[in-house]
Amino acid sequence: MTNEEKYINAFVQAFEIDTDKAKTLEFQAIPAWDSVGHMGLIAQLEEAFDIMMEPDDIVDLSSFEKGKEILKKYNVEF
Amino acid sequence: MLKGKTAFITGTNRGIGKAIVEEFAKNGANIIAHARKETPEFVAFLKETAEKYGVDIRPAYFDMANYENIKLEFQALIKTQKIIHILVNNAGIFKESLVQMTLMDDVQKMFNINFLAPFYLMQLVSKLMVRQKEGSIINISSISALEGMEGQSVYGATKAALITVTKSLAKELGSFGIRANCIAPGVTETSLIRNMKPEVLCAEKSKVCLKRLGMPEDVAKVALFLASDESEYVTGQVIRVDGGRN
Repeated sequence: MTNEEKYINAFVQAFEIDTDKAKTLEFQAIPAWDSVGHMGLIAQLEEAFDIMMEPDDIVDLSSFEKGKEILKKYNVEF
Repeated sequence: MLKGKTAFITGTNRGIGKAIVEEFAKNGANIIAHARKETPEFVAFLKETAEKYGVDIRPAYFDMANYENIKLEFQALIKTQKIIHILVNNAGIFKESLVQMTLMDDVQKMFNINFLAPFYLMQLVSKLMVRQKEGSIINISSISALEGMEGQSVYGATKAALITVTKSLAKELGSFGIRANCIAPGVTETSLIRNMKPEVLCAEKSKVCLKRLGMPEDVAKVALFLASDESEYVTGQVIRVDGGRN
């Protein structure tokens, strides 16, 4: 699985949505991505990429696109 | 009661933490036992306990006052230990002084070790628990947090802060199957009470319905209950283990 696929899969698993929906998603755009759902997403991402995200980055991850930018700090290349 | 579970327990080289290691091992848990530093006595205790009960016990050494140290040790730990079912935040320091005689350095030190370090560990471990969709977090607080005691303003405040976080965490993580509870021991026979004046200890004992001070094992048995599935519908609670107080 490529990093792109792993990344999309984290959103799909966390929010039970399809791939197309995941790619345009922003925080709180759907009921599942509330603050509690956010914790679930972070858990999925940390597990998928074997990283530990800093609280600042967890707060900043406000959309699908922003998340990719943040993950680059953890040496995740897309 | 804990077969197949892994517990991370802080402050396990003596007192309540040591008793919890023994109680959890007796009940089949594998354990990550934290201490500030390695000593021959601690290593021997872990080895004997692991052999006696046929469980895996591994040490984790770090200074609770150093967050970078906690983070590095935790990162190293989770490379091989991906699942932690139980976190027991037990490590703590105790110093008595009246409010007007309390040094700000002591305030900071007590908050660092009794509250901020456990808070940080809750952040780290709860993220693993969210992945697993199960977990039990047990914070060792104190009756001092509930009652306020002379000379224990800062200690009590650090332990009260733990109670507040525990209640919030129970609400935040309940939907992930994670429970968070506190134990509030009364005066317990550990090295922490060495600094208490004899007359104060005597007065404390007289207030206890059961007419004895608590033993570390008394607290360990309640920790076992909260760690196990026997308490699967218990979260956000503070359980007093104080022998009843008048």
